[in-house]
Amino acid sequence: MSGDDRSGGARRRGRAALERLVRASAAERVFISTAALVLSMAVGVVIVLAAGRMTTCGEAAAVYFGVGFCYDPFAVYDSLFLGALGNPINPLFRPLEGQFAPPFRRGWSPLNGQMAVTLRETTILVFTGLSVAVAFRAGIFNIGTQGQLVVGALATALAALYASPLVAGLVGTLVLIPFGLLVGALSGGLYGAIPGALKAYADANEVITTIMLNFVATGVALYLVAGPFKDPASAANETVSLPGYAIFPPVVFEPRDDFSVLALLFGVALVGGVYYLLEHTAFGYDIRTSGIQPEAAEYGGVDAERTVVSSMAISGALGGLGGAVYVLMIIGNYQTGIPAYGFDGITVSILAGNNPLGVGFAAFLFGVLKSGSIVVDVNTGAPPQLVGVLRGLIILFVAMPEFFRLLGRRVVAIEPERPVATDGGRPGDGGDDAGAEAGGEVDE
Amino acid sequence: MSNAVASRAGLSTRRLAGLALGAAVALFVLAGVAMPDSTPGKVLRVAFTKSALAATLRLSVPIAFAALGGIFAEKSGVINIGLEGLLIISAFVAVYAADVGGSVWLGLLVGVLASTLLAGLFAVVCIEFRADQIIAGLAVWLIALGLAPFASQAIYGGPNTESLEGSFGTITVPVLSEIPFFGALFDANPVVYLMFAAVGLSWYALNRTSFGRWVVASGENPKALDTAGVNVTRVRYAAVLLSGVLAGFGGAALSLSLGQFIGNGATMVNGKGFIAIVAYLFGNYNPVGALLSTFLFAGLDALQIRLQAAAIIAVPQSLVRTIPYVAVIVVLALFGRTRIPEAAGDHYESGED
Repeated sequence: MSGDDRSGGARRRGRAALERLVRASAAERVFISTAALVLSMAVGVVIVLAAGRMTTCGEAAAVYFGVGFCYDPFAVYDSLFLGALGNPINPLFRPLEGQFAPPFRRGWSPLNGQMAVTLRETTILVFTGLSVAVAFRAGIFNIGTQGQLVVGALATALAALYASPLVAGLVGTLVLIPFGLLVGALSGGLYGAIPGALKAYADANEVITTIMLNFVATGVALYLVAGPFKDPASAANETVSLPGYAIFPPVVFEPRDDFSVLALLFGVALVGGVYYLLEHTAFGYDIRTSGIQPEAAEYGGVDAERTVVSSMAISGALGGLGGAVYVLMIIGNYQTGIPAYGFDGITVSILAGNNPLGVGFAAFLFGVLKSGSIVVDVNTGAPPQLVGVLRGLIILFVAMPEFFRLLGRRVVAIEPERPVATDGGRPGDGGDDAGAEAGGEVDE
Repeated sequence: MSNAVASRAGLSTRRLAGLALGAAVALFVLAGVAMPDSTPGKVLRVAFTKSALAATLRLSVPIAFAALGGIFAEKSGVINIGLEGLLIISAFVAVYAADVGGSVWLGLLVGVLASTLLAGLFAVVCIEFRADQIIAGLAVWLIALGLAPFASQAIYGGPNTESLEGSFGTITVPVLSEIPFFGALFDANPVVYLMFAAVGLSWYALNRTSFGRWVVASGENPKALDTAGVNVTRVRYAAVLLSGVLAGFGGAALSLSLGQFIGNGATMVNGKGFIAIVAYLFGNYNPVGALLSTFLFAGLDALQIRLQAAAIIAVPQSLVRTIPYVAVIVVLALFGRTRIPEAAGDHYESGED
């Protein structure tokens, strides 16, 4: 009996959940994600107001209902969203009040420095979001993208450093960047394959192993950059900086912005590539069917163990690529204290319904939030960790489609769950436990 | 059928690996006893000191409480993977409340309350709105991971809070605390005694009370429980809230013992909630078993701290620090195939509505 061991039950349950996320129709998916976002922001308003009461300030930033608050949530969201784009709106442009000045602020250019920050965060989040999406589509909860990114970043920083004296100039750029990306992908892929193999062959729950491996990756990386590979000239724990020709060349944007359109284009190409892999190749079909209905997949001749390991390897490789781009575009070496791109990737993927094309949009949205949180800190003094709270809230709201269905039933009539044609192997209408659980309507 | 055969073969390989691991440990101990001046000998001498046991007990508190909470939730059919988040939120709120209220015990109480509230939210989301338990649990973790440093930043101007003045102090039993090694059991922080009491009470509640029977039935065969006239939804709510109470004790004890909340990176909780999950799986959902496996992980953590302090093994600190995490992975790979409650993770819909 599959229920007699942990893995059977966990796998069955995991699939049912992911299936439910995947099976929702595209319109419903967009509705749920948008609603989750809006609701999270609304909860965010309350949290910002509450925090504004708990802190102390000279004069209240906002007064609502006769009560003064230290942070004005609307100013916070203004900084968060418009600040991330470099404040494009002309202050005289108030269409609601009948003032139709030019909508964009004079002197605003889409190539401004804050926009570069937004796009560079977007770039990394595209990789981590895709990483999580591939695993989730295969029915695997890869929470270890963060660790895979750390491993990829460190390996890239070291490999590119040791290879850099061999080449120089434009040739150096043309050789070192693909080489660095390859190293990042391979090392991240190998690190991702570990929990995959542990799940496939030893039934070790991947949620736990990947989280533990995040800690292991950070610990080992700290040892390596504090010891054997430390930059002797630096007081911080970091590796020697890569030469300029090993860094993604800035195109269109300023070099000091640490953003290259080329890296973003590479990310966009990967979005298309992963979409093609999942939707139009035999291997992608195996991954998706293993995610939706593993019994059927195995019956159809899919090697379940191998699919788990290879989807985790691909997922890890995407995370590792994120680390490589982080090193080759943003910091130029490995430093401890890598931002939590891997955890943001979970939200990006869940917000995108684990659809690679959706990941592109969700990554930009999160790029805006990450970049905007810096502006929030400077402009309003509100804690920039707000984005971390939103990250969790969004997942929570997306995870409960039932909530929106109840809500939606009152506002608009939503069609019942319909399998999407492109999802391939659709579950049976009952009888098999996965299908029954997914609906949640059937008695046990 | 071939599946069953394969899995049985896998189990025996794993049992073999487990035996090999046990043999290696036994060999290490033997070498240590035979040659007291060798590295194994020195490690053993450090491991069996009163201070090592005291550190183990101290480090066990958050993990053991969270593990107990996890047992109740999962036994009832709701897998609470958000224990880490419950620990984080109670750790922060406890320090804040103790700072404002001026009493660590008040801090403990309010910390428990905060964790219970978050667990209540998790329960509503999972039970009322049928969210997937794993994803909702991850959300609870990530919300707490964002919220605690956010609040700390707003209140204290940084992700770490200020240090508290007072602490729990220790309760020392005369005479008994003089015993070598085991004396640490009688010279400890009150939360350590609370932990032992909670393990005993949890065992009793699960095995000897009707509430315990309902919890088990709700996870194993909710339909039968429903037929017997017990409200499955209510039992699950109670169990998840209880997991919030227990995890709250763990998180509050963690930060209040230190007198500060540390919110950098993975925060001071640092994966203890996830280690707790492995602890109760390894302990086979038995509170006593969970406590013993907690001692294993916490003991490894205590040992690595001692080893660094005594400079016995020339392995750098950052590497040694990963030992407990690696141990968790090894344990999970070798003994991960526990039998989970039949209906764990499944939503239950009563036929009445």
